[in-house]
Amino acid sequence: MSATPSSWPSRLSRAMFALLPTLPYAPSEKAGCGGIAIRATNLTARARADGPVAFQDASFEIPCGCRAALIGPNGSGKSTLLRVLAGLTRAESGTVLIGDATPRTGRRRIAYLSQRPHLTAYFPLRLRRLVQMGTYAHHGWLEECFHGDQAVDLALERMGLSELSDRPVHTLSGGQLQRGLIARAIVQGAEILLLDEPYAALDQSSREIIDRFLFSQGQHFTVLMATHDPADLARFDRILELRDHAVTTRRACDGHGHHHA
Amino acid sequence: MLESLREPLGEAFFVRALTAVVISGITCACLGAYVVLRRMAFVSTALTHSILPGVVAAMLLGFSPYLGALGAALLTAAGAAWLASRRDTSEDSAVGVMLSVMFAAGIALMQQANSWRDFAGLLFGSVVSVGPEDLLVIGLTAAVVLTGLRLLHKELELASFDEEYAQLLGARPGLMRVVLLALVALGAVSCVRLVGALLTTALFVIPAATGVLLGRTLPQVMAWGSACAVAGGVVGLYLSYYFPAIPSGAGIVLCCALPYLAARLIAPRR
Repeated sequence: MSATPSSWPSRLSRAMFALLPTLPYAPSEKAGCGGIAIRATNLTARARADGPVAFQDASFEIPCGCRAALIGPNGSGKSTLLRVLAGLTRAESGTVLIGDATPRTGRRRIAYLSQRPHLTAYFPLRLRRLVQMGTYAHHGWLEECFHGDQAVDLALERMGLSELSDRPVHTLSGGQLQRGLIARAIVQGAEILLLDEPYAALDQSSREIIDRFLFSQGQHFTVLMATHDPADLARFDRILELRDHAVTTRRACDGHGHHHA
Repeated sequence: MLESLREPLGEAFFVRALTAVVISGITCACLGAYVVLRRMAFVSTALTHSILPGVVAAMLLGFSPYLGALGAALLTAAGAAWLASRRDTSEDSAVGVMLSVMFAAGIALMQQANSWRDFAGLLFGSVVSVGPEDLLVIGLTAAVVLTGLRLLHKELELASFDEEYAQLLGARPGLMRVVLLALVALGAVSCVRLVGALLTTALFVIPAATGVLLGRTLPQVMAWGSACAVAGGVVGLYLSYYFPAIPSGAGIVLCCALPYLAARLIAPRR
């Protein structure tokens, strides 16, 4: 915690927060992945409550440390599947297990990047603050986060954003913003990254930085990425195909990055 | 010059009015930052206008006008939320329905009370008639609103900026929206004495809109907004003291609009 001498309002609010108990946003689970990262059983869901079924009785599992691709034609329900796994859309039936927790208790482990992030336009926020929001996962109600600076710096550096940390978010390019959101997921300590076509509309340099992070550094997190690029598939350990409302798994993965044909 | 600034301070009513304007200005500007950034200006208009039937009903039935105002504002918020809970009703039209229904009910009730003139202060504000007990209510609501905004700052900011991520973390963006509406209702009740039911929205929107033009972080937006509201409020109050032809409520709102205009012209385009 940085102990800079501060004005009386900020000292007052610190004293106020120090007195109050902290309530976690969600019941928390201990971190660490052993075995299966995502297990879906007989999952049925719709994109919208009054819309058609996106997929029916889908069952699959993704081992820890696996890089999995999610493919399928436009409108086949890839985004809905990712949203259900993230706990943002309710499944009609079936279950999702994150590790051995439900999406609700396991939510801190998940980071989800939508195709087009729905951020409030022109919100007065610097990139640094956006990345810092990842630390909220480790805090709760009635707590101000005065720490986490080091993790934020590190994540910004990893995504090649150190120089941009004071830039207002709305002045960033699409690629810079996408990298910022991944930096936030790093700060959050997410073990499972659900990415919805992250390369759509990215320039080459952003794409390379994200690739380097996802595919060549360590094996301590699990990736499920919706993608349209057939040339891209060779890098993945496992491929889930969503077609005609069903999910089929191609290519096995033993969880350590080596795949069997 | 200095003497003419000091002269009104000898009057107890003016000092009370000044205190009320400063406290309410800061409260509304801080709340207003969220109102403006989340595009809730129309909802805040509905909440402030619906105070009218609440206060009139309270006068007819003989209970505290503040309770009546708060009740009516909460009723409006709940009604709009219920109407908009169907997919085929947009929130926009739900709020529009509640706004007009409540305001019409207020006018009908005023007819029952048979004395329109009593309610002029309610519609247009009469800051000079702020009494010690009004000041107490204004101070208490300001304390509640500002404490709430401080305690929930990171959640409110997160939910306003990236609702999906707030939901992912479990920071309850839906609940934050309700909390914000309740705080806006409280803030509206506290400043209806100053500028009246018709103009209370102005205190939420104009200073905060100025802040959005000048600030680059949320606390900066709130600080600029507060500065604008306090400056506009104080100048407006002096103006209506020396020029009785200018009603205080209208004077305050017009003086708040000047910094907005200046910021609009000066602030670099983003």
